[in-house]
Amino acid sequence: MKPPPFEYGVAESVGEAVALLQRYDGEARVLAGGQSLVPLLNMRLARPAALIDLNRVRELDFVRASGNTITIGAMTRQRSVERSPDVQRQNALLHAATQNIGHPQIRNRGTMGGSLAHAHPASEYQAAAVALDARFTLAGPSGTRSVDAAEFFVTYLTTAIEPDEVLTEIAWPALSPGAGWSLIEVARRHGDFALAGVAATLTPDARGRCAEARIALFGVGPTALRARGAERTLTGAALEGGVFDEAAVSAEREIDEPPSDVHASGEYRRHLVGVLTRRALREAAARAGVATSTGVA
Amino acid sequence: MVEFPQSIDDLPTSMPRWVGQPIPRVEDRSLLTGQTEFVDNITLPGMLHCAIVRSPYAHARIKSVDVSAAAKVPGVVAIVTGEDARRETRPIYTAPPGWGGNCLAADKVRFAGEPVAALAATSRYIAEDAAELIEVEYEPLEVVTDAEASVREGAPLLFEERGTNVMYQRKFVWGDVDAAFAAADHVVTERFRWHRVGANPMETFGVVSQWDPIEGTLTCRGSFQVQGFSATGAAATFGIPLNKVRFIAQPHGGSFGGKGGQRGTTITTMLSRKSGGRPVKWIEDRIEYLSAGGGQAWDRHYEASLALTKDGRMTGLRVRLLDDLGGSAEGYGAIGAAKPLASFTGCYTIEAAEYDLTIAATNKLPCSAYRGMGPPPHNMVLEQLVDIAARELRVDPAELRRRNFIPKDAFPYVIPSGNEYDSGDYEATLDAALALADYAGLRARQDEARRDGRLFGIGVVSTIEPGVFNSNVYSLVGFPGGTAQPEGVTLGIDLFGTITARVGFAHEGQGQHTVISQIVADYFGVEPDRVRVVVQDSMNAPPGYGPGGSRLGVAVSAATLGAADRLKDKLIRVAAKLMEANPAEVELMDGKLRIKGTTGAEMPIGQVAATMLTRSDLLPDDMEPNPQATYVWTAPGRTMPDESGRVKSYLTAANACHVVAVEIDRQTGEVRIDKYAIADDCGTRLNPAIVAGMTQGGLAQGVAAALLEEYVYDENGQLLTSTFMDYLLPTIYEVPIPDKTEIVTPSPFTPLGAKGMGEAAIHTAPAAIVSAINDALAPFGLRATETPVTPNRLWKLLQQAKG
Ligand SMILES: Cc1cc2nc3c(=O)[nH]c(=O)nc-3n(C[C@H](O)[C@H](O)[C@H](O)COP(=O)(O)OP(=O)(O)OC[C@H]3O[C@@H](n4cnc5c(N)ncnc54)[C@H](O)[C@@H]3O)c2cc1C
Repeated sequence: MKPPPFEYGVAESVGEAVALLQRYDGEARVLAGGQSLVPLLNMRLARPAALIDLNRVRELDFVRASGNTITIGAMTRQRSVERSPDVQRQNALLHAATQNIGHPQIRNRGTMGGSLAHAHPASEYQAAAVALDARFTLAGPSGTRSVDAAEFFVTYLTTAIEPDEVLTEIAWPALSPGAGWSLIEVARRHGDFALAGVAATLTPDARGRCAEARIALFGVGPTALRARGAERTLTGAALEGGVFDEAAVSAEREIDEPPSDVHASGEYRRHLVGVLTRRALREAAARAGVATSTGVA
Repeated sequence: MVEFPQSIDDLPTSMPRWVGQPIPRVEDRSLLTGQTEFVDNITLPGMLHCAIVRSPYAHARIKSVDVSAAAKVPGVVAIVTGEDARRETRPIYTAPPGWGGNCLAADKVRFAGEPVAALAATSRYIAEDAAELIEVEYEPLEVVTDAEASVREGAPLLFEERGTNVMYQRKFVWGDVDAAFAAADHVVTERFRWHRVGANPMETFGVVSQWDPIEGTLTCRGSFQVQGFSATGAAATFGIPLNKVRFIAQPHGGSFGGKGGQRGTTITTMLSRKSGGRPVKWIEDRIEYLSAGGGQAWDRHYEASLALTKDGRMTGLRVRLLDDLGGSAEGYGAIGAAKPLASFTGCYTIEAAEYDLTIAATNKLPCSAYRGMGPPPHNMVLEQLVDIAARELRVDPAELRRRNFIPKDAFPYVIPSGNEYDSGDYEATLDAALALADYAGLRARQDEARRDGRLFGIGVVSTIEPGVFNSNVYSLVGFPGGTAQPEGVTLGIDLFGTITARVGFAHEGQGQHTVISQIVADYFGVEPDRVRVVVQDSMNAPPGYGPGGSRLGVAVSAATLGAADRLKDKLIRVAAKLMEANPAEVELMDGKLRIKGTTGAEMPIGQVAATMLTRSDLLPDDMEPNPQATYVWTAPGRTMPDESGRVKSYLTAANACHVVAVEIDRQTGEVRIDKYAIADDCGTRLNPAIVAGMTQGGLAQGVAAALLEEYVYDENGQLLTSTFMDYLLPTIYEVPIPDKTEIVTPSPFTPLGAKGMGEAAIHTAPAAIVSAINDALAPFGLRATETPVTPNRLWKLLQQAKG
């Protein structure tokens, strides 16, 4: 388990990183926390000509809260995100997503940008980004551009980042005031990638009806996806038992054929989408302070 | 004649004893700081690094191997292929014999990952780069991965020359089984599928082999579980005298049965020979370990029946096992099918039993030994039958077990398969576990849960852990086994009066060196950490086997006591001469030789030993100046199997009862362990902290087998779980820390009364957890019969409840 030969370059700034990427003409990969990339190298599943190490690019390591957005540098360690008081205050969903990534050892090295760029379909960050409409800033030879989550995640392990681009920062809209949230998943073990999961927020209006619902399903398709039908079902409805069941049924139907693997059949994953959507909505409603009729979840 | 103390009270000390205390392990400091010579820490002058080329196909004929491009890579020193292996080595020894090949396949490969070529280069990086350039042309053959298919007529044959994929078939019948079943009021029958699991030590296998072309000798340093056995294998494989082979077992990060390392050792030796005697290192990487190493075991299809009378007496047991051994018999996995004979009928007085055993070859990794060595699946099957019967008879499962326990005054007790249990009090263990778990309270919680529509279940399982293995029972499946299983210890006192114990097995994590230190400390009146335990290589160690089959704690404490007794006799003779007394009047107490019944006249052992080494004029006639003694112990009274396969094999029978409560998420099929209580009896606890550690480790592996771990192959024989992302080892979050209590019925057959317990909870936990799950499912008339019980499997099963 040794990687094939590669060249190694260290970037001290985003500009340097982009210049190095250009030099290798699409054959280089950037190295962030290495938690996903290094195993791929060692198993010889990835064979880049060069690694461009971003670990000394200080300008990409920050958490900046302003108004109702938190902007986080791509090289910010997941552990720093987890510990950020701004994140905890403004965006409990993002905080929970972070806590669900692997184990502390992984989060100490793994970066927010690395997780999102790697684009594993069961990634909690991807789910949160899709649920909350996070925005991604990419820097390339001709300057920077900004893409939204729907555009950023293309398919399984594939994003809109061009070979000569670097993901620099991610802007996370704060949860709406009064919103309730939930992030739940079924995984074989604590810290594993989810077999299926749901990230959701519910914003009630003054009368306890749903002003806005956001539901992202993850681990059940090539990317995390919004359950738009379920969201429509909820919007304007009274937040209580029956509508959650309806939304859950809708979510179950909205996904394409979910993947089958050694841990879960597609059929089981689809079933989990329904169960978890129902549970997530109940939990989000409860967090939003809306009393819901309980029962066996 | 050596005299063994009958109990720890007989040790020659008047101080608080060390034996029986949970003292910290003397091994831990060097192991935990890494300041020990793990094999990968070894760098020898001129050392090369090996990479192995493996078959991507599970079944294929090898058409050609072209090494020319690899040979041109700068830094590559030697390359070997299957043709070289065929010329220079004999086939790897297998059990049953004749079901294997050479360390590198020449004609055909029988599992994906089978080595076909290897090379040695100046770094592992270069070796792996060059290995990619070796071109092997294959002709893929039809693959069979399922044992039920492989034993059918017309299945593709792994070993064409044998004309069948059945490696072994035998029906053992003990007692009048037909009569027992004919007379039974109840017969319960079920089929079970236990999927592949296996050993996963922290450290994989590794070896540095060096051939001396001048002397024709071989030295291998490696993470060998049993160095002497591995050395013997290497001598046989290369056809060289055993006295030219030196194996050095390095301290290593666990083994659990999977560290034979036959192929890696043979391959690196060939490479060392070919490179003119340069040392060649191979460290198995984790993917190699998982897909082609010693980490897979127990791939089983069961059908079993239990006969009972209407008052709930178990009268007969039938077990039919189709054991899927994989692509060869090289890993000694077959002995896992033989060991259940040592505890076939569990804790019960079942008098007639039948074992219909078929071992089949398939295109998967050859199975190896694994902690527990076969009984854990067998126990799962037997205990599920007991639960099914309890439900049918409407008897509490704890009560049904109690009715059938071997009574405490019936020991020693011979079970139908011929093994003899030494002692036990199974009812006491059961009662202790039930009390600890608050069984009545759990049942009340279950009632409440059922009222709420929740799935809450309780498992109560009692098992035997056969201890102190003897290879006599393994000989039934072709393992080279006899009745002697030696273990030797040499004890010596030096000029400074310090004591050294010399043994032939390395640190693996179990803590036997601590046990030796505790015994020596009590025997000779020193502190345990003043005793040095030194590991001897296979050339220098006294005859011995090492760890395996829950034997070493007992074996090594017996050998230590034997050596101590011999050394004491020498010291007494010298001291008697020096003190002008009759040797019969001199005794050893608290590290001093003294005249019995007097005060004042005494000599410390160090002084006596120093006198022996320096003043021959003061020694008794015929006494050598050698304050050292060796004792090689083997379990007494072992027999070879009789014509029906009955055999007195394992010397001790430890017993445990686990009570576990689980809750199943009805919608997701997830299982949460709510309560875990263990009462166990392994006789005298030489070091309770070590017992607790072994129990916790065995529990982790048991929980994993019940709920998590499974080697999954696709229909082409490709392993789908070749990393720890998919082969799910339990973590601290999945393994409960159980409540524990103990019962102590000392073994009458071992010095100090200890019983083997190194496998511990893995014997019981899978059965107990599956029992709890099935108890939760009982209201639906459903049961899980396939392990691991994954959320997906359980959800599928629960679908039936909804109709
Ligand atoms: C045991 C284990 C458990 C895990 N469990 C989870 C889990 O439950 N949930 C989860 O979401 N993840 C999990 N992960 C993955 C973890 O989150 C990784 O940290 C993450 O996927 C990659 O982040 P990294 O910083 O290590 O990136 P790297 O491994 O360094 O890079 C990953 C990929 O992203 C690219 N990349 C990195 N940074 C940038 C950038 N700024 N611009 C452009 N491309 C970039 C790299 O070139 C590479 O292709 C787990 C990992 C392990 C080892």
